[in-house]
Amino acid sequence: MEDNNLQPEESLRLINGIINSAKNKLADDGFQFIFWGWLVIVCAMTHYISLKLNFEMGYMVWIILPPLGVIVSTIYGYKQGKKSNVKTYMDTYLGFLWGGFIIATIITLAFGFAHGIKATYFFLMILYGVATFITGGMLNFKPLIIGSLFSFALAGISVFLGNVDQFLCISAALLCSYVIPGHLLQSKFKQQAKNV
Amino acid sequence: MFKELDPILHSQLRLGVISLLISVKEAEFTYLKEETNSTAGNLSVQIQKLKEAGYIEIEKKFRDNYPHTICKITSAGIKAFEEYVKNIKQYLVK
Repeated sequence: MEDNNLQPEESLRLINGIINSAKNKLADDGFQFIFWGWLVIVCAMTHYISLKLNFEMGYMVWIILPPLGVIVSTIYGYKQGKKSNVKTYMDTYLGFLWGGFIIATIITLAFGFAHGIKATYFFLMILYGVATFITGGMLNFKPLIIGSLFSFALAGISVFLGNVDQFLCISAALLCSYVIPGHLLQSKFKQQAKNV
Repeated sequence: MFKELDPILHSQLRLGVISLLISVKEAEFTYLKEETNSTAGNLSVQIQKLKEAGYIEIEKKFRDNYPHTICKITSAGIKAFEEYVKNIKQYLVK
């Protein structure tokens, strides 16, 4: 870009071009969705299969995998933050949204079980739905919005299912609201990086 | 009568930098250089002019022993940009 003076039309075109290009850039590479989606599905399905096989210690998977997930996820987030040379308002808002989601999830997990597994999983699916619905709206990414609607619907369905079937329900909710949109988000992000 | 356009903003590179900074929270020098397709020398001079006008803030940080220059638009910069866009519209509506 040369430092010469401009015609008013050129000025406006330049401003519009720059602002639109910044606005249309996808701010999320989908990694956290894919990672957490698969991690929780593995936990839920392991627990489900262990209960079906009458193996009592199946719940241990929840104690082992999610804390490891937090470490991997934090390291990834930190490295991405270091690599990035721009901080957008979108990053800040998404940070607050998912920060709030994490706090709500921890509280639900810590206190929800007093009301039984059904109530806990119902709230977790509602939380997944809300967070992905808002993220989808902010990123203007329809698969996340559609996925979140599945999560809401599955939360409703889960109320009519037995305790053990909750694991199937939460796995389906994660597949629809995290894993599938996460992979689509990742491929769109990669495509965008290629076009730059 | 047409209002005179702010000479600080009425330059391709400085206007490009301000347009970028208005859409983000903060940006590193390298990001501004990539997005505006400018040379480091020219960009340095232009962001210095924006800083002297009070339109942007420049913060120098060290990360992993490498210097990083972070630029952020100020409220005076936002006001000047809005005023510039308003004035430029006068020239276009004839």
